[in-house]
Amino acid sequence: MAQILEKNKLDEMIARLNGDGCEVFGPRKNDTSSWYGKISRAEEFCFDQILPDRPLKELFFPRTEPMMKYEIKKQQVDAENYVLPKKQRVIFGARPCDAVSLTIDDALFAWDACDEFWFERRENSVIVSIACNKKDDFCMCTSLKSSPDVSTGSDVLLHELVDSAGWRVSAITPAGQDFIDKLGDVFSTTSTDVSVKPPAEVPVKFDLDAVIRKLNSPEIFESDFWKTISVRCVGCGVCTFVCPTCHCFDIQDEGDVYHGVRRKNWDSCSFAMFTRHASGHNPRPDQASRWRQRIMHKFNYYLERFGQISCTGCGRCSRVCPVDMGVTQTLVTLSTNGGK
Amino acid sequence: MGNTLEEHIKRTRQLLECGEVAMVIGYERGSVENRRRATFVKEVSELERMVLDGLCCENLANYLVREELLRSFDGKKVAIFLTTAGVRSVNILAAEGQINPDCVIILGFEAEKPGELDSAIKMLDGEHVDHYADSIQQLKSRGFVNDRAQVIVKLEMMSAEERFAFWREQFSRCVKCYACRQVCPMCYCRRCIVDCNQPQWINASAHDLGNLEWNLVRAFHLAGRCVGCGNCEQACPAGIPLMLLNQRMAQEVLKEFNHFAGESSTQLPVLADFKKDDPETFIL
Amino acid sequence: MTKEFEPKIVAFVCTYCTYAGADLAGTSRLKYAPNVRIVKLPCTGRISPMFILKALQKGADGVLISGCHPGDCHFTSGNLHARRRWTVFRSLLNFVGIPDERIWVSWISAAEGNKFAEIINEMTEKLKTLGPFEPYKTLIRDIESPAEI
Ligand code: SF4
Ligand code: SF4
Ligand code: SF4
Ligand code: SF4
Repeated sequence: MAQILEKNKLDEMIARLNGDGCEVFGPRKNDTSSWYGKISRAEEFCFDQILPDRPLKELFFPRTEPMMKYEIKKQQVDAENYVLPKKQRVIFGARPCDAVSLTIDDALFAWDACDEFWFERRENSVIVSIACNKKDDFCMCTSLKSSPDVSTGSDVLLHELVDSAGWRVSAITPAGQDFIDKLGDVFSTTSTDVSVKPPAEVPVKFDLDAVIRKLNSPEIFESDFWKTISVRCVGCGVCTFVCPTCHCFDIQDEGDVYHGVRRKNWDSCSFAMFTRHASGHNPRPDQASRWRQRIMHKFNYYLERFGQISCTGCGRCSRVCPVDMGVTQTLVTLSTNGGK
Repeated sequence: MGNTLEEHIKRTRQLLECGEVAMVIGYERGSVENRRRATFVKEVSELERMVLDGLCCENLANYLVREELLRSFDGKKVAIFLTTAGVRSVNILAAEGQINPDCVIILGFEAEKPGELDSAIKMLDGEHVDHYADSIQQLKSRGFVNDRAQVIVKLEMMSAEERFAFWREQFSRCVKCYACRQVCPMCYCRRCIVDCNQPQWINASAHDLGNLEWNLVRAFHLAGRCVGCGNCEQACPAGIPLMLLNQRMAQEVLKEFNHFAGESSTQLPVLADFKKDDPETFIL
Repeated sequence: MTKEFEPKIVAFVCTYCTYAGADLAGTSRLKYAPNVRIVKLPCTGRISPMFILKALQKGADGVLISGCHPGDCHFTSGNLHARRRWTVFRSLLNFVGIPDERIWVSWISAAEGNKFAEIINEMTEKLKTLGPFEPYKTLIRDIESPAEI
């Protein structure tokens, strides 16, 4: 027995969800870019891309977000916190790797202080992922010991039917089961098993354990390897901004002395300004040390602190890097002979 | 028709062997089939990884002003594969006192159909920027006749409100990654104006106002300096048509001041120069 | 009753000519629209496009840049450099939809109190017919609006 969601039922699904006060988000696309955005009609979905250019984190951790408004008057200081809209949301058509990224960042945002912006949105969102049956040269989830149909982070996982007319629906979490139950007859039930397309065959590009071992070795930190591997890097933040798990942010007061807004903005360890002290001293003085930080953070420090690797293998960083770097080549080199 | 590719490679070998250059900056195969990327060759034995074909579009002049690399030049010369746009950027960097043009050995080339793998490659004569004066003049006299010029005309026919709406939509996708700045050979400031906060002239956040301000500042700082290499538009992860802005500015300075960016290594930047009879029809 | 729209004008002026001209307008008791805020700088060459962006960011409906006539610059050529700068910057602004009608440039000498008063009046009238710079004001307001998601 299996539950099916037919593609021609999507409009009905959206209408039902909207009727319940729930917003729908999903993969979208225009001539120049693609992203996870709000969907009001089924035709706005774009499922036939490998994955959107921009990561799912944007819906939980926007590139700029107001936190507080302040007003300084003669006798008093007024400050007002921003409150989130607290709307229920369904993110329909997420890629499994993007769903994984949310669970990776949960650890960070719950670490010493709990980031309410992140968790409020997390609690209000149901993630419905679609297993990948296509991949491109940059996909490397399998190298990260994940897979194109991994269910981690998803509440519901869909597999596309062989005839492409719909998806087989599987609940992963209680929230996912709830979602399915609520929509009831939008789904159809078949008594027989249905055939679904096999997951994409994503080749393993490197041995993750070897990378981890290499990064643990005492000599790697000071190795010239970082200089050689990052020589082309121009220090733009693209790889970190498109990365679904990169989470660094800067807090900025915008306005003037008397009136303004405190905002939380994306920041990037690739920027020279990221670690520059007021004195002018910069403990990460060159692109090599910044690149080392990015790799060490994801594949060593994060693992040590939170027991996870901070990379889903989505490949975005390598896809978009203007000078053709990204983490893949570094990891491949580390796993073989590089970094001695 | 200039040298053949073999001659360029022979010359590179020679330069490395006699130790005249510290490094050759060229292209190698990228991580996937249709990509080429910068490569930095210091030993003759590494020469074999260099390639040159229609996919080699990046303006490598950017690397001439990267601090980390500069240190490794060690006072020696560098040889670099450049298209005419790249040569023009070397001129600008020289004119603005960023590099000594005598230390740059140019291996010039031009793809007939840039971006296409099987494009024919023409090698250009001249190892010094000054040798390119004529071909740059030719480019200048040709002006800006391309598809982009037509889009610009179309935009200018819109009302101001429509144009504002068009650009607002475009810029709304900007994530303030500053890739457009980082890949531009002319954006060599150690500290960009957007990274200064005393005073903070423009908003650092990537909201629509901050994005508009950033893109205005970038376009203005490149006005009369942009050589149209396309690095920025190529790098922008948001697909913003930055070249429209760049070209509009280039057209403006050509029309008003007969200025064509990177004409020579001694050309004054257009905004650091003036003529007594510059047009001023708009001034009351 | 709706009040008539009063545009906010920021005038960036050089201290040697236009500021002195504005001063003359004042001491001659010429009447001009009270819509202008004057920012005095050493020279038009010192007026950066950043100032204009800042003025717009703070809600100006129009900006005036004014200094010495060519040939009269206290620093010889500050105004001639500025002339190029505003040619380029105004065309950029115009290209992204910030119309020329909102960014004015003039030469006003220390003796031209009249001209100063006239330009301010003319500009105020023009901006009144144009109305508030709504597209920009929407951008400014959006900064403070709460997250939509
Ligand atoms: S690796 Fe590429 S995308 Fe990342 S900072 Fe360096 S140049 Fe930019
Ligand atoms: S590091 Fe690269 S591959 Fe890994 S999650 Fe980030 S963008 Fe994806
Ligand atoms: S602004 Fe863009 S096109 Fe112009 S020189 Fe810089 S990178 Fe090249
Ligand atoms: S590269 Fe594009 S997204 Fe990045 S800062 Fe420049 S315009 Fe914005």
